[in-house]
Amino acid sequence: MALPERIVTNAELAPILGVTPDWIEANSGIRTRRWVCANQSASDLAAAAVDDALLQSDCTAAQIDYLIGGTLSPDYQIPGIAPLVQRKLNGCRQIPALDLRVGCATILYSLQIARALIASQAAQNIVCFGAEAQSKGLDLHPRSAALSMLFGDGAGALLVSQQPANNFSLRVQDVLLATDGNFAEDLCLHAPGTANGARWMDAEQRLDGWHLPVMNGRTVILQAVRKLTEVTLEILARNHLSLEQIDLIVPHQANRNLLDALGKKLSLPENRIFTNLDRYGNTSGASAFIALCEAQRQQRIELNSHILLLAFGAGFTWGAALLTAR
Amino acid sequence: MLPNAIINYLQQAAKEARTEMPDRNTSLFEAGLLDSFSLVEFVTLLENELGIRVSDADLRPETFATIAKIEGYIAQAGVVV
Repeated sequence: MALPERIVTNAELAPILGVTPDWIEANSGIRTRRWVCANQSASDLAAAAVDDALLQSDCTAAQIDYLIGGTLSPDYQIPGIAPLVQRKLNGCRQIPALDLRVGCATILYSLQIARALIASQAAQNIVCFGAEAQSKGLDLHPRSAALSMLFGDGAGALLVSQQPANNFSLRVQDVLLATDGNFAEDLCLHAPGTANGARWMDAEQRLDGWHLPVMNGRTVILQAVRKLTEVTLEILARNHLSLEQIDLIVPHQANRNLLDALGKKLSLPENRIFTNLDRYGNTSGASAFIALCEAQRQQRIELNSHILLLAFGAGFTWGAALLTAR
Repeated sequence: MLPNAIINYLQQAAKEARTEMPDRNTSLFEAGLLDSFSLVEFVTLLENELGIRVSDADLRPETFATIAKIEGYIAQAGVVV
């Protein structure tokens, strides 16, 4: 994983957003987040996270034969982030590099695609990553306090291989994904885009902030708690496991109150849901990658334990992945 | 007409918010009785009390924004309280 050096505290952010530091913590569980500096982009963080993952896996960039990644805060509109990461990885060959636009569910979609690529023998060593430098696109104004207080920057990566690593690896047992496009505009960044009239963003739309993220937070929370509860029960049922057999849930780090509501709905004790958003905030497409890396480094993942990844985000897209440590 | 458990929930929320029960058409969010997270709990209570599942399409804060809207939703769902 890779995190920017700059730590932004609630005390620094609160006056800009017209709220208090305590209000931010009470409404999100976040105390600090990391933000990139001006000359740092999402692909810089992604490349650093991939290098870190390769180091942990005793694999070199030359051995990667597929890159799959996602971001909501790309370096450019075109091309995607994956080619830029391919360019930045020292020794990486001219391999396929695929962008996913599935927001916070990037880890789940990338794992499912990586599994399929390995099963079809199209690739053997696939790097999946999520990276965000979304602090650059936040509306730092009181009108957007509830949204802008949440987000942090960072990146995480995983190596998916047919052969398990010698020191530590996770077997991907199952991945379950879903989408409901009826809620597309409830978590959205409208412009630039071709649904915006004659131009993909005209001057008036820019003044109105169409290039800034918007979220109907109440709808997101209602839907997220329901969908994540349902997908948890479904993936467990089809793998003949009970919730008690899941040692650790590693969710997308959306908001502490949302994770608490999910824990309550599933009757799960707090210590079985991994959180680090108090330090990093919501890093969107990177968050579950970072959380999984940290859970492993904090030795929260024991041999043969079952791990459940959960994510919900823009689209809405959501899902779960069942992993077993070996 | 709302089920007693729902009325009790809202009365307790009003008490905690140190306010009166709002009229039928006042926003429960603006009145301080519901917020993003208590709404999850409120909908769960409503589903359990009425023995229904709020459809995904109806699972939006607007559906539960006022007492009148909640009553309308219950009536439309065909539940007799």
